[in-house]
Amino acid sequence: MTVSDFSTVSTIELPPPPERTEPIDSANDAARPSFAAIVASLHGRTGKTLFARVLADYFLLSGNRPLVFDTDFTEQTLRAAFPFDTVVLDLSETRDQMRLFDTVAARSPEARVVDVSHYVFRKFFKVMQDCDFVSEARERGVEPVIFYIANRNADAYEEGRQLRERFPDCALVLVENVFLGPLKEQTLRSAGYRAFDSHELCMMLPLLDPAVAAAIEEAEVSLSEVISKPLSRNDDSAFGGLSFDQRAEMRSWLMKVFREVHRVTRAAEQRALSLVPIIDY
Amino acid sequence: MKPVVLMVGADKGGVGKTTVTRTVLDYLAAKNVLARAFDAEHPRGTLQRFHPDMTEVVDITTAADQMKMIDTLATSEIKVSVIDISAGLLAETLKAFTEVGFFDLVHEGEFNFGLMHVVGSSVASLDEIAEVLPYAKGKHYFIVKNFINDTSFFEWNPTVYRNYFRGTTDAVEVTIPKLNEMAYEQVEIAGVPFSDFVGNRQTNGQAVNNSLVLRGYVRTWMRNITDEYDRVGLLDRLYDRTAAAA
Repeated sequence: MTVSDFSTVSTIELPPPPERTEPIDSANDAARPSFAAIVASLHGRTGKTLFARVLADYFLLSGNRPLVFDTDFTEQTLRAAFPFDTVVLDLSETRDQMRLFDTVAARSPEARVVDVSHYVFRKFFKVMQDCDFVSEARERGVEPVIFYIANRNADAYEEGRQLRERFPDCALVLVENVFLGPLKEQTLRSAGYRAFDSHELCMMLPLLDPAVAAAIEEAEVSLSEVISKPLSRNDDSAFGGLSFDQRAEMRSWLMKVFREVHRVTRAAEQRALSLVPIIDY
Repeated sequence: MKPVVLMVGADKGGVGKTTVTRTVLDYLAAKNVLARAFDAEHPRGTLQRFHPDMTEVVDITTAADQMKMIDTLATSEIKVSVIDISAGLLAETLKAFTEVGFFDLVHEGEFNFGLMHVVGSSVASLDEIAEVLPYAKGKHYFIVKNFINDTSFFEWNPTVYRNYFRGTTDAVEVTIPKLNEMAYEQVEIAGVPFSDFVGNRQTNGQAVNNSLVLRGYVRTWMRNITDEYDRVGLLDRLYDRTAAAA
């Protein structure tokens, strides 16, 4: 992908598509959209960046190397975890807004993961709405999915409800992080929470040992490696000094999350197909 | 339908007069109103660069070009004529149009006339309005505050402001909102109508690939302007529809 000198589109050079190991069903593959996962939460400390990282690893392991965008210009947490293909953006700059949305909506096989910092939450979704991102992306075979992590407060659910209304054509996955503890009575009664009573796309982030969570946040731990390498009792030095049991727990947690992600992305894909008018010959 | 003349003018340059004219042409096109445009910025023609198909460059100070505009009003198939008056020529043009009897015909109901007066942020703008007001009496007079490329604007004293408008109850205020600088700049470079920039079209109709973020900014901005022109009933006023009186 190259940017023409005459075009005003500001895209980023995307890495070459990954080499396939499985045979491709080309007819089926062409119809498959590439995902743009938008990970957001209204407040900080909801496990959003960790989840964005797990999503990126999910795409990586499924043979679809992701392009990762970090909107936290000051902290750059994701960049630390994925130094090789993470783009850090300052959304107060129009040029960076273009780099983000124009690249994420570009026709290209890579998955994209956007970590929306709570500092730029409103700005991000305002620009996303103003530039009609959802239909622009879909026109180019990119399927946007919002992964919205709700914390325990009623206002987070209310904000999620509003997001769902603002982007009716975009799949919104409600992510509930068990680690954040039980819901308050007040939250359970709130209109925002009740609005998600019959919401189709929901997933759970299961509980994870805090020590393991802390180790995952260490930049050196490669989640893909944890999954793809067999567990070994003789390999205590790897993975942030985690014990065999901790590594086993991390592995089982990741598998659970990957399964959940797989389920909701498939559901989102099906939902997208049902939105496209089917032409009957 | 009566022929309509809509003048867009300012007494000084740099207030975004041509930009306002471009928004009017886009608005009319969106409302399926056929229009022709005259660009009085002789001989250069900024407006013509953006709307070449419908724009003719005229030297408004010559009788020949005045005839070209006024004499064709009754015969032209296209009923709406938008004239972009070059900077500094607004009062002079209004005077010239009075001399050739144009406003008598407006008075007799042959034509409809509207004036969009784009004003800047300085106090000089008020003097400028005072100069133009006598011509605007009884016409559709729009005072356009243009925020397109200005952030701080209009710190006018409200008392002074009201004094100027005393006796001109039919003056309508129109506000053109600010447009993102980078989006504005890219449309300038592309040299196309705002609607074509949003629609990814070049002047020759060929498809281009403009930034969706910038298109988004222009689209939202145009939507706000459409709402504003709807709010003041621009079309209804020019057509003398009853809705405007309400």
